[in-house]
Amino acid sequence: MKRLFKPEKRLLTIVLCCIPIFLSGCWDRTEVNDLAIIAGVGLDRTDNGKIELSVQITNPKAIGGPGMSSGSGQSGQQPVIVKTGTGKTIYDARSKLQEKTSRQLFEGHNRVIIIGKSLAETGIRKHIDFFARFPIPRLRANVFFTDGKATDILKVIPSFENGESAEAARELAELKIGMNVTTKDLLQQLASSSGDTALPKITASKSKLGEGLKVNGTAIFKNNKLTGQIDDKVTRGLLWLTDAIETASVTIQPKDAEGYISFKILRSSTELIPTIKNGKWKMIVRITTEDDVTENETKLDMMDPKIVEKLEKQMEKSIDKRIQLVLDEVQTGMEADVFGFGEAFERTYPQKWKQQEDQWDKKFPEIEVVIKSDVKIRRPGRSGGPQGVPQEKEKKK
Amino acid sequence: MMWRIRRKKDKKKKQSALKQSKQEQDPLYTHITENENQFRQIYEDCSDVILHPFSIGGKHQALLIYIDGLSNTEEIDDSVLSPLMTATVNDGEQQVSTLIKNTVAVSDTKEVHTFSDCIQAISTGKPVILADNSQTGFSLGLSKWEKRSVESPEAEKVVRGPREGFVETLTVNTSMLRRKIRSPKLKMQSMEIGRYTKTNVMITYVDGLVDKTLVEEVLNRLNRIDIDGVLESGVIEEFIEDDPHSPFPQTLATERPDIVTSNLLDGRVAILIDGTPFSLIVPTTLYSLLQAGEDYYRRYLMATAIRWLRYLFLVISLLLPSLYVAVLTYHQEMLPTSLLISMAAAREQIPFPALVEVLMMEITFEALREAGVRLPNQVGSAVSIVGALVIGEAAVSAGIVSAPMVIVVAITGIASFTIPRYSAATAIRMLRFPMILLAGTLGLLGIMLGIIMIVVHLATLRSFGVPYLSPMAPMQFNEMKDTLVRAPWWKLNKRPRLTGESNKYRQSSGQKPSPIRGKE
Repeated sequence: MKRLFKPEKRLLTIVLCCIPIFLSGCWDRTEVNDLAIIAGVGLDRTDNGKIELSVQITNPKAIGGPGMSSGSGQSGQQPVIVKTGTGKTIYDARSKLQEKTSRQLFEGHNRVIIIGKSLAETGIRKHIDFFARFPIPRLRANVFFTDGKATDILKVIPSFENGESAEAARELAELKIGMNVTTKDLLQQLASSSGDTALPKITASKSKLGEGLKVNGTAIFKNNKLTGQIDDKVTRGLLWLTDAIETASVTIQPKDAEGYISFKILRSSTELIPTIKNGKWKMIVRITTEDDVTENETKLDMMDPKIVEKLEKQMEKSIDKRIQLVLDEVQTGMEADVFGFGEAFERTYPQKWKQQEDQWDKKFPEIEVVIKSDVKIRRPGRSGGPQGVPQEKEKKK
Repeated sequence: MMWRIRRKKDKKKKQSALKQSKQEQDPLYTHITENENQFRQIYEDCSDVILHPFSIGGKHQALLIYIDGLSNTEEIDDSVLSPLMTATVNDGEQQVSTLIKNTVAVSDTKEVHTFSDCIQAISTGKPVILADNSQTGFSLGLSKWEKRSVESPEAEKVVRGPREGFVETLTVNTSMLRRKIRSPKLKMQSMEIGRYTKTNVMITYVDGLVDKTLVEEVLNRLNRIDIDGVLESGVIEEFIEDDPHSPFPQTLATERPDIVTSNLLDGRVAILIDGTPFSLIVPTTLYSLLQAGEDYYRRYLMATAIRWLRYLFLVISLLLPSLYVAVLTYHQEMLPTSLLISMAAAREQIPFPALVEVLMMEITFEALREAGVRLPNQVGSAVSIVGALVIGEAAVSAGIVSAPMVIVVAITGIASFTIPRYSAATAIRMLRFPMILLAGTLGLLGIMLGIIMIVVHLATLRSFGVPYLSPMAPMQFNEMKDTLVRAPWWKLNKRPRLTGESNKYRQSSGQKPSPIRGKE
């Protein structure tokens, strides 16, 4: 030890210690220009039962490199490249796909997973495992269902988002007009005892102006298999029920006036209160929401507390109706517990839940749901009374 | 073996140097002619040394020696030569030395007895008078030479604060300090370093505030220096550092008298060196190297904000290029998606890997900076324009480097100039390159490794016994007031603990101003 640290050898020692750092070389170094940045993944099932994996690869050339004015991009360049590979599992398909791709596939920035109808019908649980196990993909990727082939959605070139349909799909989910489900959410829901879940449904829309995407409706999965679909209107009810509503407009026609009044939701919270009385399972849904008036076609004065009280009552009914719609279709129609009723019962009555767990499938459609909504109209908007109406003609109550 | 031999040779050299000085240590001779001969021999081939024989009152032989250009010739003629030559000498009544003392009208007159005393006086510009039949000579404080006038310091500019900087003349510098601290407690110990240059070095401190052992240590370390010449404070710095191999400076070099003053008042020691405007302050810590003098003159909120900005940019200047390399080659998933895609788009045409690209650009930038410092003013602007064009526009449009890379280099460059002390900035700038290599080989792990190594090194470093990272490590919570933030002056009541222990409080507490105060 003493000899090693003689002053004249100290430098040598330090150098020798440093050299092994560089021995590893640039081990798993990959330059960005050697990466195929995957923006979206589509999963389909071939006729012979294999997995068909489609990836949407961003084409950086289309965005603009050096010497080009920013954001212009090279004309004639496809903004994205869609490639497809088939295999027994997703990773198998990915390996096949890699054979056909000159750049290294990189899922680190994968933003959407789109599940095609053919795969959804056979069950999605086993395929989602890849996205939870393989370290590179993000757990925050949004999951969508499409009523056709997932590849077709990836091939859509929307007018916004640099022509990336994956980015457009993610932005749509972020708006929270439909459901917004990430890989993590999906994994959690599949892990629940029922394995029932819902995924937003995405469809390609074509018009003269160009291609686009829209989220319309929801796909309902019972025990990780597709059982049915609900439309846009019913989806809104689902959002109310699962406390996922963020931006919503409610429009009602007041009983004693002509025209409509629109409201914008400021805040809303939904509480699921399960009760078991005399062996009867009941679910109370308590919804509290605060709204602003955004449009008033009628001649009603929004500053009048009596009118406001009436309107509140009417809105409550309107919300109840929306929720009843989804309960009818999903609870009694498809018998899929996508609302988290089971979990709510399990939390409140763990013992009783354990006894009934096996019969939950049978019990769920029979549960009585009581909706108690409480609407508060907070502000009349920027104007008080009806606009463009002489003061004396305002309807007072 | 080679080492040993060299050491022996060194010893011999030292002895011969001592012998020579021993000869000069001899006392002056009684006879003026002997003295004159001796001096002519010492100053052989020194045409700028003037030996002027004359007679006092026409009776006593005398000799005046001075160096042309170092002494005030007019004064010599008026107040030394003419009174002496016209003096009336009563026979044998008076000693010559008393006569000279009484006749010469110069305030700073000192007796000299040996040749070495004379030589020292003459080389500092003080004329020496020797008289016949006397072993005592006189040195007269009539030195005067050309000096640069006091100007605003070039390397440390301020918006608010004194605009004077040290100059090359030690006496001017000490006078500036004396003007700032008008207390006899301000001590200045003089010392000569350099076998040939005999450079005057001044050790300055405030008695009562400074730790006596610190002064002793400084004197000790300075006394050990045995070199040919001291041309700049940097030479001294390298001889007195605690860890000579560290890239970090362990003394604070400044040319601002106000910074020296504030450090003296904190109980530190300043070393002023003749011939350079830069003085050294010891001990110093990493945080004092990151503080500009202006921090204490600005409003404290701004000063704090700017201090944080400086800390942030310290990290940026050390790490930004290496983070760029690590993230772009190992951790692409860490970037926001759209940023990665635009980075990828920018890098699509680039022929070099990110590591090479960064090294290339950083080295070019360093070269450009170095060239800019050395260039004459007239060419400087031309070079910076060409450099900006080459590094910025041309390299990007030629597809050699990517545009984000240029931004990284530019920000790093700016960041390194936010560090107020040039020597600390260069240390950070140099450490950037090993960090880039580590990032290029091990990614973020490499960066962490590098940071750990730097922090460990900083934690072991000491400057004259004071831990380099203090007051952060060891933690002195009270001193965070002047480290993390710059508390208002009326809150900075205590001196830094490690240097100002002997006199803890610099002001009385409770001086927060308010309109009510003093009215009660």
